[in-house]
Amino acid sequence: MTERPRNDGGDADLTLRVALFDYGAGNLHSLAKALDAAGASVTVTSDWSEALAADALVLPGVGAFGQAAAALPDDRGPIRTALEEGLPCLGICLGMQLFFDRSDESDGHGIGLVAGEVLHVEADVVPHMGWNDVETEDDPLFDGIDGLVAYYANSYVCAPDDDGPIIARSTYGAGTFAAGVRRTNAWGVQFHPEKSSHQGRRIIGNFVREATRIATSARPGTRR
Amino acid sequence: MLRPRVIVCLDVKDGRVVKGTQFKDLRDVGDPVALARRYEAEGADEIVYLDVSASKEDRGTLLDVVRRTAETLFIPLTVGGGVRSSDDIGPLLRAGADKISVNSAAVSNPELLSVGAERFGSQCIVASIDAAHEGDVFRCYTHGGSRATELDAVAWAEECVERGAGEILLTSIDRDGARTGYRLDLTRAVADAVTVPVIASGGAGEAAHLRDAFLEGHASAALVAGILHDGLTTVGALKHDLSAWGIDVRPSSGNGSAMGTDLAGGGAL
Repeated sequence: MTERPRNDGGDADLTLRVALFDYGAGNLHSLAKALDAAGASVTVTSDWSEALAADALVLPGVGAFGQAAAALPDDRGPIRTALEEGLPCLGICLGMQLFFDRSDESDGHGIGLVAGEVLHVEADVVPHMGWNDVETEDDPLFDGIDGLVAYYANSYVCAPDDDGPIIARSTYGAGTFAAGVRRTNAWGVQFHPEKSSHQGRRIIGNFVREATRIATSARPGTRR
Repeated sequence: MLRPRVIVCLDVKDGRVVKGTQFKDLRDVGDPVALARRYEAEGADEIVYLDVSASKEDRGTLLDVVRRTAETLFIPLTVGGGVRSSDDIGPLLRAGADKISVNSAAVSNPELLSVGAERFGSQCIVASIDAAHEGDVFRCYTHGGSRATELDAVAWAEECVERGAGEILLTSIDRDGARTGYRLDLTRAVADAVTVPVIASGGAGEAAHLRDAFLEGHASAALVAGILHDGLTTVGALKHDLSAWGIDVRPSSGNGSAMGTDLAGGGAL
């Protein structure tokens, strides 16, 4: 894609190369456009080696767990290692669920980056559909956001084994669940920032800014 | 806390937003992409495009409108009208729709819901039901309200959910365009019978009607069209009133429009 002007007054002239992974279903337009508007150069790909060679990886939130798990390479090792070693990543909804190993939704294994599992939403009305309040912790992903209300469309939520990775929480139905997790530079959010109007776009902008900072300090590095 | 939603519906024909009564006397009222963005800036929680084009040849135009909309709209977009088979769903989703609503085709071929939910996920399959009050029941109609079916609205809604629909868009034919309020008994009967969100539609004339749909109709969302397009009120004004009555809608935000402006250069307008 074409070069884009930088998104902020950072100290390096690096255009972040983002790989937007395509499991083969659903709408990627709004997400691609939001990343692009935040200053990233976006490539949509279904090729894991290409995805892991980018400056940052985005796992979108469309499709089912089993189908997306089937799109992962048989050996999860390289993906998990890249994320453990600090490859910036944003997992959205299903993309966040792929950070975990297993899901109630379907068979298949995720990346296993975060210990825990993905469970069916316990509530009278499922899917959890609509705008819900999010309590955020202090994390660069939420810079400049006060009183987040974000758009959800999911029937499954992530249950980490311990609270350590949790950076945001929402309450719906029977309880409070992890609205956001972080491990190294991999952020996962259960809601859809690309559908959460100006606050969601701010989150995507924050991710691009942080990933750019990380990629700049890594370059020239061993990873690329 | 899950916020009750205010959803704005635009009737789209040949790539333009049209307005009319009972699908007749259609007038051009603007560009869907620009109108959808304006409603997002005003605080709309979602947008619905209802394709009222007569012929199948217009599908290409609709896909183009959806594609251009998805590039500049950052709230969910549902597209309905003219979805005849599961093969019509994929292209709309890939073009940028988040959810697809299905009406007549689901009645003649209920498998469409199961197949759609299986292939694309329940969260993107909306069962659209048009119902009219007859005696003690609500009867379902298809083809824009012109053809009666043998289906009872509550029973049909339950079947739609069983087959995988993730949401019900429920329109009262009796109230459509009347602006006298949503048909609350219909809304509540369906909302209480199913386990998925129900969108009340048909009859919105003022903010109090939305309040009643949420509180008395047990709706998760309320669809609004004519009163906005005619300039009688705005999404911001509706939400202001709802908030004042203690309904916790998502706040309309001032900087939504500012963020929209910086994107204009990258948009397709």
